[in-house]
Order: sequence, then C-alpha cells, then structure tokens
Amino acid sequence: MEIPFQQLFENMPCYLTVQDRDLKVIMANDRFQKDFGSYEGRYCYQVYKNSPYKCEYCAVEKTFADGLQRTSEEKVKCQDGRDVSVLINTTPIRDNNGDIVAVMEMSTDVTNIKNLQRSFKENQERYKLLFEEVPCFISIQNENLEIINANRLFREHFGSVLGMKCFEVYKHRKEECFPCKVRQTFEDGEIHSHEEVVTTKNGRSMNCMVNTAPIRDINGNITKVIEMSSDITELRDLQDKLTSIGLLISSISHGIKGLLNGLNGGIYLVNKGIESDNKERLTKGWDIVLRNVDRIRSMVMDILYYAKDREPNWEQISAVEFAQDTYDVLKDKAKEMSIEFTANIDENVGDFDCDKNAIRALLVNLIENSLDACRVDKSKAEHHVSFAVTGDDDYVVFTIKDNGIGMDRETRDKAFSLFFSSKGGDGTGLGLFIANKICKSHGGVIHLESKPLKGCEFNVKLPRRSIDLSSRDFK
Amino acid sequence: MSNKKTILVIDDEPDTLTFFSSLLEDNGYATITADNGETGLKRLEEQIPDLITLDVTMPEMSGVEYYRTLRSNEKWKNIPIIIITGISDDFKKFISSRKSVPAPSGYLSKPVEPKELLNMTKDILK
Repeated sequence: MEIPFQQLFENMPCYLTVQDRDLKVIMANDRFQKDFGSYEGRYCYQVYKNSPYKCEYCAVEKTFADGLQRTSEEKVKCQDGRDVSVLINTTPIRDNNGDIVAVMEMSTDVTNIKNLQRSFKENQERYKLLFEEVPCFISIQNENLEIINANRLFREHFGSVLGMKCFEVYKHRKEECFPCKVRQTFEDGEIHSHEEVVTTKNGRSMNCMVNTAPIRDINGNITKVIEMSSDITELRDLQDKLTSIGLLISSISHGIKGLLNGLNGGIYLVNKGIESDNKERLTKGWDIVLRNVDRIRSMVMDILYYAKDREPNWEQISAVEFAQDTYDVLKDKAKEMSIEFTANIDENVGDFDCDKNAIRALLVNLIENSLDACRVDKSKAEHHVSFAVTGDDDYVVFTIKDNGIGMDRETRDKAFSLFFSSKGGDGTGLGLFIANKICKSHGGVIHLESKPLKGCEFNVKLPRRSIDLSSRDFK
Repeated sequence: MSNKKTILVIDDEPDTLTFFSSLLEDNGYATITADNGETGLKRLEEQIPDLITLDVTMPEMSGVEYYRTLRSNEKWKNIPIIIITGISDDFKKFISSRKSVPAPSGYLSKPVEPKELLNMTKDILK
C-alpha cells in the first residue's frame, strides 16, 4: 500500500513545518495551521511565538549551519491563546547536490508531560518543606546509623551532623544505644516508639519521644530509616509538677490527720476538765487545742506560699526594727512553751532590701521550727532559742540557734527537700522547703549546722541590696 | 502492786502522747510512753506492757522498724500491738506485702476517736 507523502505530512500527530534559510515558513501541515493559523509569508517566530524577533537559540538555524539534526524544547502560543510546550526536532532537506535548501521542524506537544513534571516537582518541594519545617527533629539514617539527612529543627539543635552516627549526635557518646530502635526497624520493618533523654549541641537535656519508620526502595528493601523525635520535656515537667501536687496532697492529708488527732486530744482534756471541774486539765487541753489550731494556720500559709510563685515585693527596711518586730511576734509563744527566747540585735546593722512579709515568714518558720525542736526534746530540762542579726557591707545575716532535739546527718541533708519531714504526723515537709525558696528568691542562702540532741543553728545570709531577679531561676 | 493493765504508747507527737495516756489512764489502764522506736525498745527492757499503741512515721526508729524488731524477738513477739497512724492504709499494704510478718492486733487511723481506741483496747485485753 502506498501512502501519498502529502497525506502522511498532513496527518502526522505533531506540528510539521518546512522553513527556508530566513526562517520563513514555506510549508506546514494541517495541525499546525489549525493551531497557529496561516503561515503564508510569515517567519516561524512570528507564527509560533507572535514575536518580531527570532529566538535566542534557534535549532533550525543550527541545522542550516552544520546539517545536523537538533533537539530543543520551547514554549509556543496557539492562536487561541493556549501555551503549548513542544519538543522540537529539526532535520535538513537537501537538493540533488547535497546542499541544504530547507529545514523540516517537527514539534511534538509535550504539555501534559511538562505539567506532570511540574506537579511532581511541586510535590517534591512540598515534601521538602514539610520535612524541613515540621516541628520535630527528623533525621534519616543508613544501615551504619550514619545521618544522611536532617531537617532544619534538627540542625538548629544538634548542628550540621551529616555523616555522624546518631548516638554521637543525640547522646554525645561513642557507643551505640541498646536496644537501638533504628536497627530494630532495619531488621523487622516495623515502626518503633520509645522515650529517650537526648542532649543538644548546647548541652541542654531534653526528653524526646522517638519514632522510627522504614524507608524502602522500589523493590521493597529497607535502605534507610527515618527517625522522628518530639520534644516532650514540658510534658514531663508538667507530669513532675502533677506528681509533686499528688505528694503535696498526700503529705498535707497526713499532716492534717495528725493535727486533728492533737485537736481530739485537746478537746478530750477540755471536756474532762469541765466534767471534773479540774482547771489544770482544762488548761492543758486548751493549750493543745490552741497549739494545733496555730499549726493548722501555719500549714495553710505554707500551702498558699507553695501554691503560688511570688516575686519579692522589694523595699528598703531597717534590719534592727524588722528583727525586733519578728522577735516580738514569737516571744509570747516561746514563753508559753517555757522556752527561753533571746534576741541579740546589732544596733548598727543598718538597712537592707527585702520582701518584708516573705522574709518574716521565713524567719518565723525557722524560729517555730527551733521552738518545736525544743518542745519535743526530752533529754534536757531547759531549752533556749536565740535570734541574732548582724551585717557587713554586702550582707545581712540572721542567726537562729536552739538546744533542741537536733538533726542527724540524713535529716540535715534532706531538711530543705520538698515533703521531707522528721516531725512525723506533725510536719508537711513544706516549711523549710519554702523558707529556702524565699531565701533563694532574695539571692540569699541558708546554712544549717546540727547534731542529734545538741540543737540546730540556721544562718540566713541575705544580700544587702536587691538582685536582678530575671537572671535567676528560683523554682 | 497494781493489777492495772499497762499500755505502752509510742508516738513522736507530745500532744498525742498526752491524749492517749490521759484517755487510757482515765479508763483504768496504766501507761508508759515513748517518743520514738528506740525509746520504745528501752521501755520494753524495763517492763513488758500488756499492749502497745504504735505510731508509724517517727524519727530515729520508725514504727515499721519497731514492729519488725518486736515480731522477730522471742521475748516480745506476742505483745499485742495497735498501729495508730495517719497512713494506716499504707501500713496495711506494707504488712500484707510481707507475708512473713504477722498482722498487728488492730489498726486505727488518725484522728482517733476516744471510743474507738477504748473499744479496741478492751477487746484485745479481755
């Protein structure tokens, strides 16, 4: 069967033109004319691009020059305004002498392929953006556990670590973790989750929830493992706080039970005293009631102080007047307990900066602690508590000393810990913790000396002038 | 010599010691007191009581340690003990988790009602 050349030319599923050396279109197929209109007397760049100038790179021109076939890509515009991406192939047409007299240009519509390519690239960009900007640390490891890719957050926190092993980066050590979740994922292809404590390049410790997942090649073989880690430090801190609230509630309820038991005892003695008209019993019972009510009051104050983080309300005050006032608050209480309570106030100690109410709460807490330590000590007939204030250019020092029951080393070491109490049912383990917290919030320090049955000495050393609170962490 | 039953009251809180000893003495018992486990052991060297009321959370020697010491000592292992504490539920758990330690004669949770203590004492000593 013979197909006429003209019919073949017209029906080719592409744009076909023949151009002379001036790039004038001298022949074009039907499809070309349908999309680009009449070519009579027009140059290819006019027809294809509606441009008065020839293209910067012209495949037709090149083919005229060297007689070789050329391929290029162009974007052209149809007469209806559509942009069409075309793949251009040019081939020379020679006369009987072998001279090039024209060039045939075949342009194939590759718009769909181009669109697919663009869409693929856009998706790639989107995934890259997601990988880079997702708010967790992402790294990709090969079978040697070397990091071959990492996202922006990872680089910011752990540095540019490509080629390093994950345990070197996350753990700052030379030994692999055991068990290694990345290795497990390489072995079983499963997703593994676990919690780790990692260290950033700046040395900050961080709790992370780590997930590992396999990355497979086209044949389904695991070639890499992606590791995604979320910083859950705040969550863990919150859990610690909740735990401490739980401990607080348990400690308070235990303390309150003890105090209520004391109240029951006081009420029992008061009732018996009234029944039997025994004033001594009644007084003894009433003292117990008052003491336990007072302890409930101070426990509530402690709880309130614990519950709220307070910034010191700074003011400049006279240390002498302040110490005298503090002494006056407690002297009657000491007298009722038959404990000698003395004050030794250096009249020249001068002014200092503090939150008056907070420091008073601190000192009252320590003095009450000393009075209690005397009350429960049965080894001596007489007890005394002394309160002194001294100072130098930089510091004001309050000293509280007693000859009460004292503390062994373990009790002394834990004295300022939250919820530690050596007072059995009588303590919440809050008092000294809060005293220490107040002192720290003033940039000061409490020094404690004590031996069992010998008594205690607390030295509260406070800077004379206020400190920049924002630069410290008092929690 | 008095034929009153003697009760050793052990608690680190002086108000509780006053409370329990007054209550028990008012109801016909003799009492001796100790403010921690160590003193409580010394009291046993001086006199074997008919009953002990024992606090759990105390300095020096806790009630738990004191209880275990008594229960492993031939001379003292049969003295009835009432555990009186603000954390008696925890103490019950502690005891039940250690099968080798026999259960105490009774538990009371603080705050203690006078009648509760008297009834339990009477039941144990009858």
